[in-house]
Amino acid sequence: MIEVKNVNKSFDGKQVLFDISANLLEGHANLIIGQSGSGKTVLMKSVAGIYRIDSGEILYDGRNISQMKSNELNLLRREIGMLFQGSALFDSLTVKDNVMFPLRMFSNKSEEEMEERARFCLERVDLLRALDLYPSEISGGMQKRAAIARAIVLNPKYLFCDEPNSGLDPKTSLLIDRLILEITHEYNITTIINTHDMNSVMEIGENIVFISKGHKSWQGNNTEIYDTGNEDLENLIFASDLYKKIKKAHQMGI
Amino acid sequence: MNAIERVGDYSRLMWKTFSKPDSWKMFGKQYVRELHKQGINSLPIVCIISVFIGAVICIQMRINTESPFLPSQLTGYATRETMILEFSSAILCLILAGKVGSNIASEIGTMRITEQIDALDIMGVNSANYLILPKILAFVTMIPCLVTFSITTGLLGGFGVALFTEMITPMEYEQGIQYSFLPYSIQYSIEKSLVFAFIVTSIASYYGYTVKGGAREVGKASTNAVVNSSVIILLFDVMLTKLLLS
Repeated sequence: MIEVKNVNKSFDGKQVLFDISANLLEGHANLIIGQSGSGKTVLMKSVAGIYRIDSGEILYDGRNISQMKSNELNLLRREIGMLFQGSALFDSLTVKDNVMFPLRMFSNKSEEEMEERARFCLERVDLLRALDLYPSEISGGMQKRAAIARAIVLNPKYLFCDEPNSGLDPKTSLLIDRLILEITHEYNITTIINTHDMNSVMEIGENIVFISKGHKSWQGNNTEIYDTGNEDLENLIFASDLYKKIKKAHQMGI
Repeated sequence: MNAIERVGDYSRLMWKTFSKPDSWKMFGKQYVRELHKQGINSLPIVCIISVFIGAVICIQMRINTESPFLPSQLTGYATRETMILEFSSAILCLILAGKVGSNIASEIGTMRITEQIDALDIMGVNSANYLILPKILAFVTMIPCLVTFSITTGLLGGFGVALFTEMITPMEYEQGIQYSFLPYSIQYSIEKSLVFAFIVTSIASYYGYTVKGGAREVGKASTNAVVNSSVIILLFDVMLTKLLLS
């Protein structure tokens, strides 16, 4: 579990996060949602240790990352997998080499063992056929799946996903969402997903943290989200006519 | 960011770069790849430029020193000295700042804006060390070879002028390039080029690594890398010449 306690963060004197506290649960998909510019990406990158926070605490199973030295932080980072918005695959390496990269850096396995592990992870995301292709030769959805395979190759305890559905069609988005959720449950990972895709919120939102103007405005799950009484959240989630109808149907018990 | 902040920022990056690699095996692979990319791939451009500049220097020297009071061997001697002392070290590195420097800045800059460097950092990899150190060491390793190659091909360019024109005989040219030769000149040339190679690669890496924004900023970083490393090379050229030759 990751505990976020009273986190404040500012850039060049402009405060972006205000006293945020939240628990991100182990074995669950934890979603950070909010409008563009609300501070959700800053929160996720602060939790991931990419940004240093101004004050507060971020505890990874009791380990406070804001008090860690850089070598301790580097060791912790080996327990973290991250899926970036643009996949961030190394474009000079093939899909297989991308997945094998963390193993080559940090494991003492033989080349055969590493390849076996890479193949297993790529099979898990149904991407064995793209083994020897370069990132530029595969579709956006396949790139995301390759990035998921790379993120899980070292058996991470924590998985961060920055807008995993951005740029994908609804069907592929759903596949990626379900894949992330399956992997989260299968390996008991603490998964943190930064998104403003409402389909994802409804599909995999087991623990949702809503950020509004840098403040934590609401926390709950995808079944509680219909009756929050939070105006900002409702304006975000039920902005479209379709979701308004879904909410109405839900309230009528249909 | 002012100049002092930049120097501080650059020094911090170099501190981070010159540390023990996370994986020697991966470092070795990167190093060999960079040797090929920066060294072997630069040979054609070094060859073309050196041959033509050697030929041009030879022609110009012959035209400007044509006098009954000056020996015709002076043409070969002046060509050799120009190539060894200045062209094949300083000017060559200025040219390579354009090729190698812009390539490094744009490659690392693109990795920055596409979050590939963030991906390395989040994995716990020292991204500066992994990306920059092999580039610096590879170019510093290859530059003596490139300088020697440039001197040789430049002198051959001059020899071509002697062979295919009637401005100077090949015998006079040969006598000229052998006249009063100091082996220290080669050492001086290589020593200078080692410093210039470090300047080109480290400055280009700095500009690439610190890019913020998009494709426009990567282009700007690439230009800044070439311009700034060229200016610093010229500055160091004066300082090193004073230190090593006087």
